[in-house]
Amino acid sequence: MVRGMTPSDRVEADLPLTISQEKAEAILHVVHDVGGQPDGPLDKSLHNPGLWEKRTHCTSECLAWRGHWVSEERRRRENDLGQALYLGTPYYARWLLAATKMLLDKGLITMDELIMKIDEVRKREEEVLS
Amino acid sequence: MSKYKLGERVTVRDLPSLFHTRTQGFTRGRTGVVVALRPEWVIPEDEAWGRYEGRKEPFYIVRFLQRDLWPDYGGAPIDTLETEFSERWLEPARS
Repeated sequence: MVRGMTPSDRVEADLPLTISQEKAEAILHVVHDVGGQPDGPLDKSLHNPGLWEKRTHCTSECLAWRGHWVSEERRRRENDLGQALYLGTPYYARWLLAATKMLLDKGLITMDELIMKIDEVRKREEEVLS
Repeated sequence: MSKYKLGERVTVRDLPSLFHTRTQGFTRGRTGVVVALRPEWVIPEDEAWGRYEGRKEPFYIVRFLQRDLWPDYGGAPIDTLETEFSERWLEPARS
């Protein structure tokens, strides 16, 4: 969707030299502070967490137990992902992305190590599915 | 030692909001009543940026009337909302 956008759709955001105070305040708004904002009906159905969601929660807790972060830092890092990722990804995907970026930021893993591993897992999945 | 007592009216400071906050926008500048005292803990402004052994201060549960938070609130006038603040976010009630 984002890739398909033509330059004319985003020319205004490409290199603004100035922006209005109103726009600055809107884009600087703390992304998780949504109380009172208009929205559609709330889905109140019970969600049964999948395995990847439980694993994400577990990994995040273990990282805290080992002293690498605390839940408040995780929440801040979820906001740091930016509006598109924060509002566009599932709840536990935000945790996962925040944890990944924390590990990179703190030098606990390297970027090439991460992408090699993702590639390895992807290939393994393709093999299973073929 | 907590600065505010149970039952005391407090107003939430309307400080700038940037990157991350634990103080919901809809509580800023609003007045409520302290209904519970929480033990001292590291303030979110430190914890969120990796200062796990940061500044500690008392936390408070403050109860607001919903109609004080939302100008167009359509529910019962006795409806309330409770949320939590560290001490630096509160000041003695303005009204």
